[in-house]
Amino acid sequence: MTTNGAAGQIGRFTLDNGLRLVTAPAATGQVAAVNLWYGVGSRHEVPGRTGFAHLFEHLMFQGSGNVKKSEHFDAVERLGGDINASTSSDRTNYFETVPEHALDLVLWLEADRLATLRDGMTQDVLDNQRDVVKNERRQRYDNVPYGTALERILRLGYPEGHPYHHPTIGSMEDLDAADLDYVLSFHERHYGPDNLVLTIVSSLDPEDVHERVKRYFGGIPARETVAEAPDATLDGPIGGPVRDMVVENVPAPAVFLGFRTPAYGEREFDAMLLASAVLGQGQGSRLYRRLVVERGLAADDGGGAADLLPFRYTPSLMLVNMIAREGVSGDELEAAILEEIVLLTQGISDEELERARAVLERDHLQSVAHPSGLADTIGSCTMLFDEPELAYTWPQRWAEIGTDEVVAAAKRLLGPENRLTVRFDPEETPAEAEGEPVGA
Amino acid sequence: MLQTRPEPGAAQPYTFPKPQRLQVGGGTVVAIDVPGQSFAAIRLVQPAGGAAEPLDRMGVATLTGDVLEDGMHGNSSLAPALERHGAEWVSRVSWDGFVTGVDAPVNRITDATALFAEAVRTPALRAEDVLRRREQLLERFWLDVSQPSTLASRAVGGQLFTGRYATPLNGGPVRLADVTPEIVADFHARSIAGVAGTLVVVGDLSDVDLEALGRTVFGDAAPAEPAPVTPPERASGELPRILLLDRPGSVQSAIFMAHHAPSRSDIDLPRAEGMSDVLGGMFTSRLNMKLREELGYTYGVGCRFDLRRDSGVFYISTQVEAPTTAHSITASLEEIEKLRTDGVTEGELSAVRESNTVGLPVTYSTARSLAYAMVEMVVHDLPEDHVDRLRAGFERVTADDLRRAAVDYLKPEEVVAVVVGDAGQLEGPLRETGVGAVEVRDPESLWS
Repeated sequence: MTTNGAAGQIGRFTLDNGLRLVTAPAATGQVAAVNLWYGVGSRHEVPGRTGFAHLFEHLMFQGSGNVKKSEHFDAVERLGGDINASTSSDRTNYFETVPEHALDLVLWLEADRLATLRDGMTQDVLDNQRDVVKNERRQRYDNVPYGTALERILRLGYPEGHPYHHPTIGSMEDLDAADLDYVLSFHERHYGPDNLVLTIVSSLDPEDVHERVKRYFGGIPARETVAEAPDATLDGPIGGPVRDMVVENVPAPAVFLGFRTPAYGEREFDAMLLASAVLGQGQGSRLYRRLVVERGLAADDGGGAADLLPFRYTPSLMLVNMIAREGVSGDELEAAILEEIVLLTQGISDEELERARAVLERDHLQSVAHPSGLADTIGSCTMLFDEPELAYTWPQRWAEIGTDEVVAAAKRLLGPENRLTVRFDPEETPAEAEGEPVGA
Repeated sequence: MLQTRPEPGAAQPYTFPKPQRLQVGGGTVVAIDVPGQSFAAIRLVQPAGGAAEPLDRMGVATLTGDVLEDGMHGNSSLAPALERHGAEWVSRVSWDGFVTGVDAPVNRITDATALFAEAVRTPALRAEDVLRRREQLLERFWLDVSQPSTLASRAVGGQLFTGRYATPLNGGPVRLADVTPEIVADFHARSIAGVAGTLVVVGDLSDVDLEALGRTVFGDAAPAEPAPVTPPERASGELPRILLLDRPGSVQSAIFMAHHAPSRSDIDLPRAEGMSDVLGGMFTSRLNMKLREELGYTYGVGCRFDLRRDSGVFYISTQVEAPTTAHSITASLEEIEKLRTDGVTEGELSAVRESNTVGLPVTYSTARSLAYAMVEMVVHDLPEDHVDRLRAGFERVTADDLRRAAVDYLKPEEVVAVVVGDAGQLEGPLRETGVGAVEVRDPESLWS
């Protein structure tokens, strides 16, 4: 076991089969938060097979060699536990928080689906969950205003064929095309203990936790072949400005801007995160002060107009999004946002940067203030950076970056050549200006 | 290779932490110490929820909650001031309570609470800020209801009640427009500024002076008067029935099936919530197993009781692929009937018992969830050992209790189903279900 400095209560272990285990103490007793980060996400998908990593997340709850359909959920729910999973471009994450006495059961359930999922998979299960995911897509993308924004943003931000060109939900066509053989081979290629970071936050002794994890996961062999992700290398700016003008049934014009930034974990990513906080995070941010309060051009979003979409293995995206007030055109709002972005590249004050740091630190501290959030953050820091201690020390990264560095990054990255725009305009009010065509 | 399935041993007994209780001036501080929890949750509870609003002032509580964010200097000055302390403003107006507060690192709790207290007691309440917030809220209403599920949930009040509950909590797009800066100032003066209330504090309190915190928040404010409880009037109309809100081109339908339920104090919670868990309160509940895991109609479906001091509502909510809308409603009603007729299985009973007893350490594993539980206790005048009593109730609950709860509390014959979807596609199939009369309306006509 190795530990490190202020985060000295973290325990790190590696099993012979490559499984990485991290333990940390919980702030409240009697609970165990179990978090599994598998190093597979939609970045591993190829054209024609999109949505598969996410569909697979659903299939993981549908039974395995020794667990019936829905039994995993049932076992955790009847313990009063929290249970869910999520898929992103970079990873698939399964998590449950249970009363501490049930830790062994959860470890067994997770180990069983890692080792024997393929034994429980059937065509009926695949067909059913395909329908569920298609309804998830309808609910989150197709049947709500602005629902396709992210899909359009990724399409503009990453070239055709690039593994980040599509959202994790995938397309209806590709979901329809998913077949059982591919399900089985996907599990074989990606779901091995050597591709897993298991984090457990509890009051238990780390050595005890290690012994339990060895007991349940130690006999599962590593993958015979390690799957490779498609090449996600991408250099330079977006090659913009590029834009997608959408006229459909939306309640008001909406502007989404995106800018490529360095990958998550790089110092300039942090500088841009601070820039996004100065610009659009919190009600003290510039966009909120100027466009919501002073000029009344944008709908009140509570101070959530800018953020970074963090990608570890390819350039990330800074996103800015606002919805127009009544009587304000999309063009007017877009121009006003761009004006603020230009001003940002011309300078920020120490006070603004201090506020931005405080907002980011607050969000970070809140996310690690509960066992499940702490386990997730540790899993992330271990899988992406091999440094679980970062979960405690992350805010220090922002303390070392000054106003000059933030402004320099903003100046370099927030220009038109690196900009994508997705604009939604209501059908009744066609866009006033002709937009540049997509890819222009 | 794999171990055999382990059986969990006995759970450690759980007792909800006993709060410290201090009387400070006209108010009460209730605090839970969570050693090691460096992010504190602070909540001020005052008995001024939406239910108490006169009909000509509907939405004033929500608007006032919003305007408090303009702080004592106006012009949206509170949030930026709190942000510099790494703190976050919290405001939640419910039907029965006016809750404000701040989440802050415990080492900044004194400064953050001082700012929060000033905002609540002595806000600027500038007319221009009130008008700006009001216009934003009105526009936000239409943005929110462009989400079909939000539209369905907001439309249901008018189907079940007349009077205050017929209009959404924030006053809706018409009544809120009549709330003036003067009305806000009057409401604030009468119900907020001088009303001490109860301060809930949760976090690592080893270095926190609770009495000083209480003095900061309560000042010389007077004790809170209990809120009046008046049973609301029910809406008229044939039951059961379907209200179809037309959203042309929808590929999915949002469904919100609701009927009246007893008030918070009149309902037997372990029986009612245990039964609701079996029907639709858990992933493995009957409705989700049927509509999602068997039929593949939806991403998820659930049900719950929305209980207020003077009334309650029971509802089922889901979003389903458009062509499956009619069958989703009849299949849900069939599940209700089955539960009323056949009761629950032993497996379902044990799931209800266990999840609501051994699961409590998970439920209360964060400062926010502990604070939320305390707020509920204050709002509904519940005893300090409410969570422990509830746990004991779930330990005692029987299969027969749950079956009787289904008979007592589920009223399929009184259901109103609000459906938001493509009327051209849905009207015929919905009529053919025979569930009841089908009325088609333009959503914008609901609040005119």
